[in-house]
Amino acid sequence: MAIEIARAKPAASTDSNADDPAFLKIRDLIYGTSGIYHSAEKLYLLISRCARRMLALGAASPAEYLEHLTPRGNRTAELRLLLNEITIGETYMFRHPAQLDALRNVILPQILQLKNFVGLKRLRFWCAGCSTGEEPHTLAMFLLEEKEKMLGGWTWDILATDLNDNSLQTARDGIYGEYALRNTSAIMRRKYFKDVGDKKLQVNDLLKSQVHFDRLNLSDDSKMVLQKGLDVIFCCNVLIYFDLASKRRVVQHFYSNLLPGGYLFLGHAESLFQVDESFRLVHFPGTTAYWKPTAATAGEGKRK
Amino acid sequence: MNAKLQAQLQTQIMKLDSISTAPAILKPLLDMLRRPSEDIKVEKVVELVSCDGAIAAQCLRLANSPLFGRRETETVRSAIMALGLERVRSMLLGLCMNRVIPQDKWVIEPDAFWRHSLGCALVTQRMAQKMEYPEPEKAYLAGLLHDLGFLVNSVLYNLEFRKCLRRASEEHTPLHVVEEQVLGFTHCETGQMLCEHWGLSKEMKESAGCHHDVRLLASAGPLACLVHLSDLLCRMRYLGYGYEEIMGVDLGEDAAWQILIGAYPALNQMDMARFTLDIEGAMDQIVATVDSVFGAKTIAVPATS
Repeated sequence: MAIEIARAKPAASTDSNADDPAFLKIRDLIYGTSGIYHSAEKLYLLISRCARRMLALGAASPAEYLEHLTPRGNRTAELRLLLNEITIGETYMFRHPAQLDALRNVILPQILQLKNFVGLKRLRFWCAGCSTGEEPHTLAMFLLEEKEKMLGGWTWDILATDLNDNSLQTARDGIYGEYALRNTSAIMRRKYFKDVGDKKLQVNDLLKSQVHFDRLNLSDDSKMVLQKGLDVIFCCNVLIYFDLASKRRVVQHFYSNLLPGGYLFLGHAESLFQVDESFRLVHFPGTTAYWKPTAATAGEGKRK
Repeated sequence: MNAKLQAQLQTQIMKLDSISTAPAILKPLLDMLRRPSEDIKVEKVVELVSCDGAIAAQCLRLANSPLFGRRETETVRSAIMALGLERVRSMLLGLCMNRVIPQDKWVIEPDAFWRHSLGCALVTQRMAQKMEYPEPEKAYLAGLLHDLGFLVNSVLYNLEFRKCLRRASEEHTPLHVVEEQVLGFTHCETGQMLCEHWGLSKEMKESAGCHHDVRLLASAGPLACLVHLSDLLCRMRYLGYGYEEIMGVDLGEDAAWQILIGAYPALNQMDMARFTLDIEGAMDQIVATVDSVFGAKTIAVPATS
């Protein structure tokens, strides 16, 4: 199987090594630790990511590289480095304006109303799989812009987590180039960034103070149960790397993490069909989100 | 709506024939629509379409549009064959509708109206296929015609209807809600009456009449339910009436969905999030089609054969 894939994607594989059973062992190891599963069609991705680590270590064969991932080698550290290679993602700020519109027009007014009722004027957001920080920084700018409007008198915190140390470091540094800023208006750039030369901008102290970055493995049940009282979770294009069983487990955690009436945003092409039946799919102009019903509205008809 | 208003509307709709210049082929077309499709001869349709140069040109454009695979169609006959007889019947009626409204009477932008109508037709048909409804072409027609009431309101209640649209777009609310407040009736009711006046089937009347609330009927049929859901989906995909509505829609909790899922278990196997993504791709094609078929100002009359 691996040979066929290697032939189909020669540029991305290490050709002659592609049929090595060591890759299947590495695949199982990655799946066991992170829940990320490389199916036969996606194995070429794993092979190309391993190739980078093999080059860095000077490992001559997959079997030799596998040695580094065993308790005899420097297992924990190397596994972390390999996971960093596997979970690289490239994105940009204000990538999904329809999500922000849904937040502004429907979701936040709904949540504010619920929380006003109990007199709790604090919101909690979580970007699960935040990569290099574009998404949480976008959310922070959006919320700051609403501070003088609907969020007057409200406070919030934004937790942004990822498995990838390198991505998290980039996110914490908050230095972005033109690609990441392609959708960011001149006004936003002036308000929330400072010029650091070399055609790059860095998030200013105000924006930096809005997001708390942390490393978190979505497959780590003991850490997942600790996330509580969330209003909105963003987990865009992360679950696509998971197999059904792991996906189910993560989504069940999200459901518990959210307060009743909270929302989960997934990536554009993702669906919870046959993954989860507790969440309800809600359509908004140009986007969809998953809603955790409140006790009062469960069983109610269409909401507007 | 009270009986007095209903009688008044019915009288007005009678006047529609004299006010608007419905294409000559509308009448024979409507007769044709009432007959089962197997009774229809291709020659008869070719003859009908060829009578009206502008409609023939639009038919050709449509057959050549990306929505139908961008074929190299040059004659009316081959265009009809390419589109399929059943589709042509639906489309012809749509093309006629386009001319029922005099140029200066359009309230909703014609492009927006056509995108919404065609979008709804396509989504209704695709959803019908997903749930294994036996007549997906009929579903297409129901989707295409569900907003016939806009024509009535535009022609007969032009100023008031303009006011409705302005208010709905300013408040980002559904149009039918404002119509009810301003006019005392909605395009659903006038649409249903026009269907009646044109002698369209019970299902078409039902789809036009209750596509914003299937609970209006004691037992809404599958087409009315499908059209209702498609209309919502289109409006959530920027294929509404030309303005943005502020709403979140939980289709799974909708009365129409509940009715359909009871009668068509295949719907349980439908991944709604995936379906929405799929139709998003089709929407781009619809926009391209509307631009190529209805967007052009001047229409060349082709040689028919």
